[in-house]
Amino acid sequence: MVDQATTTDAFGVLESRGVSRRSFMKLCAGVAAAAGLSQLAIPRVAEALEKSVIGATSGDLYPVIWIEGASCTGCTESFAQIETPDVATVVLDIISLNYSETLSAAAGYSVEEAKAQTIEAGNYVLIYEGAVLEGWNGNALRVAGETGNEALIHAAASANAVMAVGSCAVNGGWCAAYPNPSKAMGVQQFLKKEGIDTPVINIPGCPVNPEWMMQVLVDVVLLKDPSLVKLNSFNEPADLFDQTIHDNCARRGHFENGEFVYEFGSKEEALGYCLYPLGCRGPQTKAQCPVTLWNNRRSWCVQAGSPCIGCCEANPNDPGDNWVQVNTPFYQRFRDLRVGDFTFQPEPVAWALTGIVALALVCHGFGMKKTGRMDGGAPFEPIRKWDAKHPDQAIGTYADPEKGGPVLSAELTEENTHHAAAPADVVVADYEGEAGGEAR
Amino acid sequence: MTRSIIDPITRIEGHLRVEMEVTDGVVSDAWVSGGCFRGMELVVQNRTPEDAAQIVERICGVCPVSHAHASSIAAEKAYGITISNNARLVRNLIEGAQFLHSHILWFYNLCALDYVNPLNALEADVASTYDLAQQLGTSMDTDFKLLKEKLERFAANGQLSIFSGNWFDCDNGEGYKLPAEANLICTAHYLEALKMQARASEIAALIGGKMPHVMTLIPGGTAFVPTEGKLDDLWAMACEIYDWVSTTMIQDTLALAPFYPDALKFGKGCGRYIAWGVFEGPGWPYGGDYTEQMINRYLPMGVLDEDLNVSNVQESLITEYMGHSWYEGDATYESPYFVTDPEFSEYNVEDRYTWVKCPAYDGKPMEAGGFARILAAYKRGVPFIVENVDKMLVALGAKPGELSALQSTLGRTATRQIETLYIAGLMKEWTLELMEAIKGGDSEYFRDPVTTTGEGTGFWEAPRGALYHSEKVTNRNIDGYQIIIPSTWNLAPLNAEGVHGPMEQALIGNPVEDIDMPINALRTVHSFDPCTACAVHITEPKTGKTFKTVTSPWGVK
Repeated sequence: MVDQATTTDAFGVLESRGVSRRSFMKLCAGVAAAAGLSQLAIPRVAEALEKSVIGATSGDLYPVIWIEGASCTGCTESFAQIETPDVATVVLDIISLNYSETLSAAAGYSVEEAKAQTIEAGNYVLIYEGAVLEGWNGNALRVAGETGNEALIHAAASANAVMAVGSCAVNGGWCAAYPNPSKAMGVQQFLKKEGIDTPVINIPGCPVNPEWMMQVLVDVVLLKDPSLVKLNSFNEPADLFDQTIHDNCARRGHFENGEFVYEFGSKEEALGYCLYPLGCRGPQTKAQCPVTLWNNRRSWCVQAGSPCIGCCEANPNDPGDNWVQVNTPFYQRFRDLRVGDFTFQPEPVAWALTGIVALALVCHGFGMKKTGRMDGGAPFEPIRKWDAKHPDQAIGTYADPEKGGPVLSAELTEENTHHAAAPADVVVADYEGEAGGEAR
Repeated sequence: MTRSIIDPITRIEGHLRVEMEVTDGVVSDAWVSGGCFRGMELVVQNRTPEDAAQIVERICGVCPVSHAHASSIAAEKAYGITISNNARLVRNLIEGAQFLHSHILWFYNLCALDYVNPLNALEADVASTYDLAQQLGTSMDTDFKLLKEKLERFAANGQLSIFSGNWFDCDNGEGYKLPAEANLICTAHYLEALKMQARASEIAALIGGKMPHVMTLIPGGTAFVPTEGKLDDLWAMACEIYDWVSTTMIQDTLALAPFYPDALKFGKGCGRYIAWGVFEGPGWPYGGDYTEQMINRYLPMGVLDEDLNVSNVQESLITEYMGHSWYEGDATYESPYFVTDPEFSEYNVEDRYTWVKCPAYDGKPMEAGGFARILAAYKRGVPFIVENVDKMLVALGAKPGELSALQSTLGRTATRQIETLYIAGLMKEWTLELMEAIKGGDSEYFRDPVTTTGEGTGFWEAPRGALYHSEKVTNRNIDGYQIIIPSTWNLAPLNAEGVHGPMEQALIGNPVEDIDMPINALRTVHSFDPCTACAVHITEPKTGKTFKTVTSPWGVK
């Protein structure tokens, strides 16, 4: 079968096998004639295999390849919503986006050729969106006659850096949620497994926030210094992902006040109260949503009335630790725990365990009583240790500060406790003198 | 005879391959292959319907609202909820915002580069460009002189960016037919459209928190409560988009059409259409009659046969066939029992060649999409659609009511702009209606489930066409989930009788001058606005291990 994606290599192969340009042109003529094309097309068919389809290989714009793996195109879409700068400025004045399945004018062989030539020219950044799929030896994702994983390996190996955008690219995202049918994982883990050591910058989110992407692009592309991107242990930009949503939430004040929304679309929601009882994952999700906001800084999830569902939660080393698995059910306070196919909420389990322990203690008590193994109760202190050491500052009330026992002196009470003296005839406390004495 | 292959198809959502047999410069056979499998239905098993609505919307970043919407409708049918009137309006608004976003992006930023050559705009004369724009009656918001200078700077730098590997010189330089001035106008509108589609998404974000993947569209209604501060933003943005759409999109379409008359002659496809209807109608809630509800939608439900006779959808007539897709077996599954087991073999057009299954209605392939919706609305007599389709028919040289004149690549592409204008107008209407309702004291946005066990089906439309979500719920836990997506209909492979799917049929007969750059085939593919990420599914896994099931996905009748 004709595999158009590898035509660049094909020409080299032809030459190495002694097929001359002349005979190649004849072959092209044959192909064109067979297709019923005019003879004028022939030089073009041949020429297409030689000329640069990406224009100048370097210039004012930083070359970028954007590959979609097992994606929903949501991250490309999100990128297309960027306003400052807008997407047209980005692709015409800042980066040379030589390969994008969504935006490229070219299609088919031509666009694959653009990618191949960009890789050959080098000095580019790879942006990867979507999960890496290992199902059916990678055939769960097929592009241009090969698996998506082959395309990723090829493009990542010579890149200056790989930006894994969106939670799917970071660790498989929802695709990796139980039962992970297509064997999804993140770019970082996959490349490590394949022995490719190109640095990976992880920017989670479902989708990725375009302003976060742009921040990284500014460091890498405009300032030309990737070391400006300070990464945390998950290889995420630290200043974007080291604080929780709760830290910066505009509704945090209502949380402190104990003012909560208990039902969707309610009066409390109109007042902008805190969504914590509806399962908001803001307290445990690290991202800058309340600061950056979304869509031209128009709004964000909590501002619109939805609790955070923790879509930025993504451990690049463990696809099982994806945001869907960690956070469902979204509108419950706690995640579901899973044993095989069986899921349950932690709260009932906690109550059940508490009940079992309480029941055991009660049984134990009755048993002790029944068997007569009670030793006369707890050994209460006749006098507090601190009071015994500091008799002049003792706050307890004792008859005899040396030995303990009930107080009878109104004077002592007033002086040492600053409380009004109890009437002399009231017995404030009544302790047996010796340790372990039974209370009366 | 030779093969022409486009892989990957760009400027669409997802991974798509088209392989064509070319004989005497014409496509004689075609195979369309969807390249990615993720297994969404397995992931939502044993989670709550509320979680499912959030997860399934991640199936597609271009039409997430529709998936959340269809899933919520399915959950509401299972839960016995009829949403409040305010929730209906808010949900129509967020859905409408997504349609506007999607249609604007699709026409200008995905489709237009098949017709417009921005690099040729460098040759344009600025003064003549203004004259031409005035003559065409299209908008002139951009300073054409500044734009030309910007393009000149871009060209001088020499890096091609998104124009790398372009097909602008295809067909011996004859493939792109617009004069330079028209190219400059359309390039200006390409850039304006990038801003406008983002503006439309801002409405979705205002209501839904962010776009893509909105957050407030939930089973039971909406978590969003419109306050005065938000309503005036909504109104201002709805007006801005309406003004731009009404002065630009249809005008540009009619400006392009005369240069590509051939595109009215190919790309018809199967000629049968389905639309499940979208945007809940003003007579809400229709007393629980689902058919009535679907017929009264602003864009109504309709099934159209070869002669464009319209009928109501019968759920039991939908089937799916696996024999040419990467799933086990080659049976045809009749509703309501679909059973599928993914199994990749190899890419072979003689055997199995796609991850997309082959759905059929009454045993036949059906086309879904904006064109199907327009035809259904025309046949149901929606006044705005009838009036504007007739106007467009006359502009294209046909007679009013002569719908067959539109059954082509260009017709499919052009009619969507009518839909865009219709929705842009409705957005303003719904905003005013919502304001009136709030003024009248209506403040209900969310309703609790009546029951937590049941079955439900969401018949709805994504921008790309008929969308179907169905779920079986036991104690708020999903026991079975099924999705049939518009692009599954359109990208269907051969069926059991050897009949091609709608897009394959539309490709056959396309003229191909250049097998390396079959531009007409690309135009035809883009006219469907395919979306392959959502087209690929397995259905109805019971436990995630065995794929047998006995659930009825057809919901409460």
